[in-house]
Amino acid sequence: MAKTAEELMELIDKIPEEPAKPGEFILPELMAIQIAHQVRDDDIVFAGTGLPMVGIMTANMLNAPHALLIYEAGICDGKTMHVPMSVCDQRAANMSSTLGGLVDTFGFYLQQGFVSLGFLGGAAIDKYGGVNVTSIGDYWKPTHRFTGSGGNSDIGTMAKRVAYIILQEKRRFLERNEYTTTPGWWCWDFKKNEWKPKKEVWKGTPFADSGPEAVVTNMGVYKFDKNGEIYLESCHPGVTVAQVKENCGFDLNVKNMKGETKPPTYRELFVLREFVDAELIFLPQKVEYPASIQKLING
Amino acid sequence: MFKRGATKKAQIMALEDAVKTFVKDGSMVGFGGFTAMNRNPSAVAWQMVRQGIKDIHLMDRHGSYCSWVLNAVGALRVYETDWVGWGEMAGKLDVNLERMYKTGKTIIEDYSHGAMAMRFLAGAIGAPFIPYYAPQGSDLYNPKYDALGRAGMRDGKNPKIAKIKFQEMADPFFGLGNVMLLPAARLDVAVIHVAQCGDKGTARWRGIGTIDKEICFAADKVIVTCEELVPEAEMRKIPENNQIPYFVVDAIVECPWGGYPSAVPFYYDYDAPFMRGMDVASRNPEDLKKWVDEWVLQPKSWDDVMVKVGARRMLDLKADSTTGYSTRILRGKKPAPRMKMPLSVARSGY
Repeated sequence: MAKTAEELMELIDKIPEEPAKPGEFILPELMAIQIAHQVRDDDIVFAGTGLPMVGIMTANMLNAPHALLIYEAGICDGKTMHVPMSVCDQRAANMSSTLGGLVDTFGFYLQQGFVSLGFLGGAAIDKYGGVNVTSIGDYWKPTHRFTGSGGNSDIGTMAKRVAYIILQEKRRFLERNEYTTTPGWWCWDFKKNEWKPKKEVWKGTPFADSGPEAVVTNMGVYKFDKNGEIYLESCHPGVTVAQVKENCGFDLNVKNMKGETKPPTYRELFVLREFVDAELIFLPQKVEYPASIQKLING
Repeated sequence: MFKRGATKKAQIMALEDAVKTFVKDGSMVGFGGFTAMNRNPSAVAWQMVRQGIKDIHLMDRHGSYCSWVLNAVGALRVYETDWVGWGEMAGKLDVNLERMYKTGKTIIEDYSHGAMAMRFLAGAIGAPFIPYYAPQGSDLYNPKYDALGRAGMRDGKNPKIAKIKFQEMADPFFGLGNVMLLPAARLDVAVIHVAQCGDKGTARWRGIGTIDKEICFAADKVIVTCEELVPEAEMRKIPENNQIPYFVVDAIVECPWGGYPSAVPFYYDYDAPFMRGMDVASRNPEDLKKWVDEWVLQPKSWDDVMVKVGARRMLDLKADSTTGYSTRILRGKKPAPRMKMPLSVARSGY
């Protein structure tokens, strides 16, 4: 007989914290766990729909149980039992501290400076972490029109640390975006028509030092140096530095590479699969546990 | 110009009459709820399409069933918003809107989510504009990209359209850098869908508030559709649970399941498979036309739409009284596990 959620909860501490081997997990699982690792236990997190939400929920169940999750439709400290399909899903509001609206989340929490970590998606990113979620080609007659900012530009500039999850392709990793929805560490000063460090453009505001800290892609994990330039920190298992460079539209700094991205542990995978996305919505491909772990689960 | 004077007297109306009375061709309209997933006033947008209302200037928190269905028949002239998606995990981009935009049929004025929230807050509290740290260096605030200005609509003829998209200004009080002044968002008509409305107009929702209160106060006319129309006295028993005071409401429309296919917390869940069907239909203009015919034009009433959705689906969508959503509906490949407590709380408390 299938175990109840409560019986599965009892097993968590028995599942080993050893890294899983190649073939025992899929790439989106690794990415979700990498997102989870960015979350600290004292963070106030503001995340977007999709894999960012899955990742921060996983963190809340494992490494950062006291992190406070804000969902932009008005939810403060949601404690979810079932994965939300939107930041306005009643599932995200479960057992929350308070419920409000957009003025609460963007005003009282974000602009007031409470948010320490923003986790967002993007269609394309530039060398300094500037993100485009608006359009490709001429703004007025684009080849592709995306959804537009949503909360991306607000969260991406006012959260103290910001992390992005982006699909890595040559046309998405760019020297300069065609349209910058969310500025990174360098951006335009439109008054003077100069490309400058964000710190100078935003000088004097409470958010001059806020900005991108990490990027997780399907190929690797990235960080930003003192100059605000992105660099490769680790490659996912099975990915080479040469492959990463091939899928990047500018000359990527790979000198600070620390090696391979840590694969998810069995315990992390167990929590992700059985508690975060048990309904197989975000990670629809069901992967079997290795026999030794399955035996532990079966008891 | 925006002074209202005496309180309004809300009228209980049929859906058809409320739309006929308050929404005109070219009206500036804002819908409540959040994306296509939560408390969309769907029945009103559906009725607008049936009445052939056109040239709508939609000013909204972002896409929804409402924007999707109006756009499906080309009724959106201007879409002033922050996110032109609609169904998130069940149809992220409104494919037909992208089509309309690329061919120049719909004007999109881009802002961000926080910026629209602040603009509606300004509109709601009667302020002409509001300072907000909207991102400097974002092309949203690139003077080149002012869509309404480009279309010649910032000429002052419409008192609700600001003469400029934004104004950057150095903080004159505390010297805390540059900040954007954003124009108040003001509407001809605000439409929201709530759980309960008293027969005098006091309204209550459950779950998140999104931007509903702000749009109601920022609009000249307010239409409230509700799952249940109840005696006003019932609403007065626990007034702290109410969000909309009766004196801003013009029309009250009782419309059970009026938020479908979005969720109405504690009443029913969102219908993700139905939204995926909408997304598929929008990929081809012919299919989209068929969809509109089948789901908007043929049914004679909103009740008919729900009869067509069917009892099986409605049973599955019915919300649990404890969580406010459905644990019976199949959203992914496996059914939802029954849980007593979220894992994070069970292991680590709050």
